Amino acid sequence: MDYDSYRFSIGESRLSEEPTTLLQGTLDLLILKSLATGERHGLGISRRIQQITGGTFLVKPGSLFPALHRMEEEGWTSSFWGDSENNRRAKYYRLTKAGRKQLEAESKRWGRISWAIAQALEAS
Amino acid sequence: MPLFAKARSFLRNLLFTGRAEEDLDQEVRSHLQMLIDENLRAGLGREEAERAARLELGGTEQVKEQVREKRLGTGLHSVSSDCRFGLRQLRKNPGFTLTVGLTLALSVGANTAIFSLVNALLLKSLPYPHPERMGTIYTRIAGSAASDKRHNVNGEQWELLRDNVPALTSAVSSVGTTGVNLKGGSHVGYVHDGRISAHYLEVLGLQPILGRNFSADEDRAHGPKAAILSYSLWRNVFGADPGIVGQPILLRSEPYTVVGVLPQDATTPLNADLYTPLQASREGEGRGTNFSCIIRLRHAATWEEADAQINRTWLSRAGRYELADNPSAKVSYHSVPLKKGQTDSLRPQVLALMVAAGFILLIACANLAGLTLVRMMRRTREVATRLALGASGWQIQRQFWIENLLLALIGGAFSVGVGFVALRELFLLLPEHFLPVTSVPLDSRVMLFTLVISVLTSVLFGMLPALATRRVDLRSSMAHRTVAGVGSLRLRHGLIAGEVALTVMLLVGSGLLIRSLIHLETLPPGFNRNGVMVEKASLDDVRYHDPAAFRKLLDESTAAMRQIPGVENAAVGLNLPYEFTGNDWITLSDGKEAGHQGGVDWVYVTPGYFDTLEMPLLAGRVFTDADGPNSQHVIVVNQSFARKFYGGTNPVGRYVDKDTLIVGEVADVPLSSGLDPVAPLQTEETMYVPAAQVGGPLLALLHVWLQPNWIVRTADRAEGLTVEMQRALEKADPDLPASGFYTMADLLARTLTMQRMEVALLGAMAALALLLSAVGIFALVANMVAERTREIGIRMALGSSVSQVIFEIGRSGVAASLCGVLLGLLLSAGALRVMRSVLYGVGVYDVSNSLFVVITLFAVTLLATLLPTLRIARIDPARTLREE
Repeated sequence: MDYDSYRFSIGESRLSEEPTTLLQGTLDLLILKSLATGERHGLGISRRIQQITGGTFLVKPGSLFPALHRMEEEGWTSSFWGDSENNRRAKYYRLTKAGRKQLEAESKRWGRISWAIAQALEAS
Repeated sequence: MPLFAKARSFLRNLLFTGRAEEDLDQEVRSHLQMLIDENLRAGLGREEAERAARLELGGTEQVKEQVREKRLGTGLHSVSSDCRFGLRQLRKNPGFTLTVGLTLALSVGANTAIFSLVNALLLKSLPYPHPERMGTIYTRIAGSAASDKRHNVNGEQWELLRDNVPALTSAVSSVGTTGVNLKGGSHVGYVHDGRISAHYLEVLGLQPILGRNFSADEDRAHGPKAAILSYSLWRNVFGADPGIVGQPILLRSEPYTVVGVLPQDATTPLNADLYTPLQASREGEGRGTNFSCIIRLRHAATWEEADAQINRTWLSRAGRYELADNPSAKVSYHSVPLKKGQTDSLRPQVLALMVAAGFILLIACANLAGLTLVRMMRRTREVATRLALGASGWQIQRQFWIENLLLALIGGAFSVGVGFVALRELFLLLPEHFLPVTSVPLDSRVMLFTLVISVLTSVLFGMLPALATRRVDLRSSMAHRTVAGVGSLRLRHGLIAGEVALTVMLLVGSGLLIRSLIHLETLPPGFNRNGVMVEKASLDDVRYHDPAAFRKLLDESTAAMRQIPGVENAAVGLNLPYEFTGNDWITLSDGKEAGHQGGVDWVYVTPGYFDTLEMPLLAGRVFTDADGPNSQHVIVVNQSFARKFYGGTNPVGRYVDKDTLIVGEVADVPLSSGLDPVAPLQTEETMYVPAAQVGGPLLALLHVWLQPNWIVRTADRAEGLTVEMQRALEKADPDLPASGFYTMADLLARTLTMQRMEVALLGAMAALALLLSAVGIFALVANMVAERTREIGIRMALGSSVSQVIFEIGRSGVAASLCGVLLGLLLSAGALRVMRSVLYGVGVYDVSNSLFVVITLFAVTLLATLLPTLRIARIDPARTLREE
């Protein structure tokens, strides 16, 4: 499998230190968003993010799993074991009530930020 | 809800680690599986699909580790697993653990013991209410012979202090306790009587549990005779009789009325069995500075007011003894906290011991740093493996620190035991009432100190190795079997040199103290100290204020003692050689020296005294029974007396104090001077007076302070001699109990208690330092042998002889040690000058002492180097080379 050069790889903090905080928030939001439409396992989340960002973000397991576990500990998601589409046993995640609230809050925040950034860039 | 989820995950991570781990493992594996499935569906071959999946996952273990690090409670969890791992490591290396544990237990234990002394003597507050309002008075003398210390006070000072210093409640007591005989019913016993003024117990804040404190009337000169009992005397002698108050007891053969009983836990600076009123005045005892004063600041008064009032009243005195030797001296007085006043004299010794204990700790740290450094080096491969498995540098460091801390805590726990045993042994060495505190507890402050010291030690000995191994190069470490860094070797040599230097200082210091003690103990005795048995008894007794009764007692008791089988001679003397001796002021009466004055030591003796002690008579005669109360007053003087007053010419036939004739001259004996103490034992001008010629008032006064000695000489010490002596004394007076039996060696030891203590403590620490240094050198060389086994094998295969290799390896250990010896000698030359005041008969720069230390260290170094190198002889070159 080869990736196009414009794709970002999220959470490779060892390589790029600067955007970590921004990407941290981004990653949480993307995971929450990907779960908004239903429960998914880790790979499902990863592929869903790839899909909804038009292939811009590829979330590697080294970033995905710590984030998933952290979010579960925060109480935003809950997990259970189920069978995958190919009959593999997989761990599924779904949003909790708190998770939905978090998604709403995060979306609003991101809306504001992206609007502000867009305004800033348009200004001459 | 989120909080609840957090708590739940925290507990799960902590308690069900296994389940969480299994869960994580399965999740990551199923993820990998699904990636492979995905790749297969995309049309890749099996192998290619697996490879790509693994590439995307980026290492199963690393992913898991990343999740673990993010987990809640991960810090706590990994610390506990580090601890478990650490304990396993320590169990796996029992030799290392034992060495470190013992080193720590001994070195921290020494610190625990010494610190508990510091704590009890200098830090703990006095066991009285509001100790900060208690004090004593220091006399500050400015000028040529400047001093600032606690003086005892005389009767005039006491009366002025009592009457003219309203800011204080003041009290005085006798300087020490007086041994007196107590007769209660059928019981006749020797007890310690603390003579105190009224308000003494109020100053201490003590209230009797029965009865009351002394009244002002009872403290008046010739006032009513009253007594306050300590709790233990009340219980042991009087059966805790609740009706004791108001009852008479027979003390000094006089009735004293019991007016109070002190509480069980009450302690006083005197720690006496019972207390009687001091009845101090300007007469008798009060003429000299024979009282010890304590003060308590009154409510609403300040120390400044008190000091001003003390200075005003004491500086107005007509005759000020402070100016007797030094008329131009500028004298002032100031109050200091009682704690300071009581312990100031011991402070330098205690602090010196604390410094020595600190040295021990540093030496131990150097050893342990060397040992842990070597151990870390050996674990380079383990470190590299853990780094490869995804551990961070911080995690590796933390593991080492936790192991060091575990070691320190284990050692610290044992050190409390060591400290406890050391203190107990120390107390067995000490005579009663030697320390101004009743107990030296291992209290919470000592425990905290031990904990802090242990942790500090672990930081100190862990720091160097941690810094030295911070840059472990992963690839080279995996490739090589060991890392024998040149830098680390140099570091270890430096550590050895440092600890040997400290050891040299301790050895030189304790060597000087030992030489001083030997000097004092082997002073030319001037008498035959073998075969003498001494019985002391108190004659502070109203019956013996009468000189006739006193003479009768001495005659009858010495006669009875001469009848004891095996006894060759018997006598009585107020003081014996080695003892603290009373003194007097005399005036020469004839010849060109007429009018000369001077202080001399003063001892009354019976005629047999000089023969019994076998003191050589140098001129004239000794006393006979003819020297009675009504005959010519005569004295015998010693050689120092003749030298000082008559320029060494024969003093026999000269007169002093108008009509007292010198009839003989005897040899000098060492004694503990009260006149002009420059050493704990010295010879000094002394006059001997016939006991039969001492008047009643003087006898009464002398026997308050001093207990006379009955001495017998035996050819070979008979069994039951002391029982026979007591029986002989009882024949003359059935109500005269002995206060103790001593040999001359006992008296010598009693006088030199402080010096023996110093030698015992500093000597023990120097020995410990020497042991630790030996262990350090041994470990250094042993590790070099182990590290260089392969190199040694090659050398021997190439034709080196065993002795050549031993020399090559051992050389560096010896070199490091010798550097330390040189450094230590230099340092001690500078630092030990402070010891000058406690050295007698030996200088600070004593060549033979230094030489002895150097030889000792050299021998120990050779031994510690040679023992581990003997293993070289057993190295088989063929096998060593095959091992690779």
